[in-house]
Amino acid sequence: MERARILSVGTSHPPDRYTQQDILEMFRVVNPVVRALFAASHIQSRYLVLPQADASGRPAETQGQLLKKHRRWALRLGRQAIDRCLENTGIKPTDIDALCCVTSTGFMLPGLTAMFIKHLGLRTDCHRVDIVGMGCNAGLNALNPVTAWAQCHPGKNALMVCCEINSALYLYDDTVNTGVVNSLFGDGCAAVLLRADPADEPTFAPRVLGFQSHLIPDAWDAMIYRWSDTHGRFGFNLARDVPYVLGAHADIPVHALLDRHKLKVRDVSHWLVHSGGKKVIDAIKYTVGLTAHDVRHTVDVLRTMGNLGSGSFLFSYQRLVAERVVRRGDYAILMTMGPGSTVETALVRW
Amino acid sequence: MPVDLNALQSLRYAEHGVIATVTLVHTHIDMTMVRELTAVCDFLEDDSPTKVVVFQGTGGQFCAGIDFADFRPDAPMDIHGFNKWEKVCRRVERLDKVTVAVLEGAVIGGGVQLALVTDARIMAQNATLQLNEVHQGFLPGMATFRLAKYVGLGHAKRLIMRCPVVSAQESLQLGLVDVATDDLDRALTQIIDSFGPTHVVAVTLARRLLGESFQFSFEDALGHFLAAQHRAISQTAFLQTVQAGQGDPDSDSGS
Repeated sequence: MERARILSVGTSHPPDRYTQQDILEMFRVVNPVVRALFAASHIQSRYLVLPQADASGRPAETQGQLLKKHRRWALRLGRQAIDRCLENTGIKPTDIDALCCVTSTGFMLPGLTAMFIKHLGLRTDCHRVDIVGMGCNAGLNALNPVTAWAQCHPGKNALMVCCEINSALYLYDDTVNTGVVNSLFGDGCAAVLLRADPADEPTFAPRVLGFQSHLIPDAWDAMIYRWSDTHGRFGFNLARDVPYVLGAHADIPVHALLDRHKLKVRDVSHWLVHSGGKKVIDAIKYTVGLTAHDVRHTVDVLRTMGNLGSGSFLFSYQRLVAERVVRRGDYAILMTMGPGSTVETALVRW
Repeated sequence: MPVDLNALQSLRYAEHGVIATVTLVHTHIDMTMVRELTAVCDFLEDDSPTKVVVFQGTGGQFCAGIDFADFRPDAPMDIHGFNKWEKVCRRVERLDKVTVAVLEGAVIGGGVQLALVTDARIMAQNATLQLNEVHQGFLPGMATFRLAKYVGLGHAKRLIMRCPVVSAQESLQLGLVDVATDDLDRALTQIIDSFGPTHVVAVTLARRLLGESFQFSFEDALGHFLAAQHRAISQTAFLQTVQAGQGDPDSDSGS
């Protein structure tokens, strides 16, 4: 069976860049603990779609406005990411045979796939899947079936698009919990094109060799959207120790995946880890035994853009490819972490 | 290309209980030794049940540095071999076992580099250390990175730029070695015992954090420590320490 290859990745983000200090000033944040969270240096800037503050200094958007923002910016950024992904591949939107959209930052029905086909000129017989509400890990949960589809349909083009408009999903109050969440996430979209075609052999593109999941049932509510009657919207809760819990489990799927392919950690040249936050990146480093160099792109994406949700690892992928250090035969592990709680992994080889 | 550990040329590998011994047979470091040392690291990481690795020489000589026979003066110089050497040193430095070097004779260049990546060094009274590379027109590998962490920048400059021959007594005073003695066997047994009980996770995390101690800001290092500590206290070894401590409040739960 011909393995599917990752032929191209394209990303996009909103035009407006905010430093953490910008946001503290815009919304007149006074809670010193929250201010300290924003001041920590591991995130310096994020791209966001922010409203004006109201008279009391708060961001004033209704739930309806947030949903509209998600729809509008998912389309705008999704279109950019898809255009950039297809650029230089010779593939047009009408050549896409399967489309999978991933989002956790806004609910809509019909989903993003139907909207993209309507507005971006994809074919009406394009196979569609929407993966909604699986969180930061969802990029790999989606890549798995997209890869499988591509392998079952040799020569066909499968496109996956992660659209996370985190500015459309926030709950604003003076608590530390919302401070943590509101200091962390950024907006961004990432598109990835897969195809299983022996004719692509000369292309310098990694084949996807396998996936491994690991769910941590004991931490099922450690990262959770909860409905707040007070605010009339969802808010995201992050348990304090969950970064370390995720880290402590990270080597389980990594070793299972590598064992299956008769590989060792030392055989893996590149690590593309979700930019979840500083603590979880540290925990993975000291559990799996990764160096600062191994997670340089993960840390850089976090520093310059924040946690971009499901597509984060693809931003790291893009940075790795741009370095031009990857050689044919190199292995990489892609790793995402998120609600469930879960650690998802994939093995690819150039 | 798999290497047969029973048919090594530059090294000998043996195991006795929890102790693995890597004996350097070639007096100088050549590419055969680099390749075979890499194979030994593969075995130590993947298959060896041992907890301690001893690096030692033969015939009263630990290692006298790089073998220039691998170089061709009529061809362009190649950095690749140096990279392979650094990679295997890094592998030794990160093994999930305690490592000890037994230093005898005139330990020169790469021999000193290898000693610096181990967890403890014992040295014969009549042995000497010397990083002589700069006097020969090249560099002492990543000793340029590691040495100052042992001895401070001033001593490191002196040792690397002026290439003095350093006695066992001075090595001891500088903190380059842990013991200088005429009774190497006894010192080796004592030093191995002093590492026990070896809790692999705690040992490797402690070593890594120490190695990184000059590298990061305090805030970053604190984050690393907390991640490492969370991992350490989630291990059985720490749980047993806590249980033992609660069973008998007067007991020394750390031993």
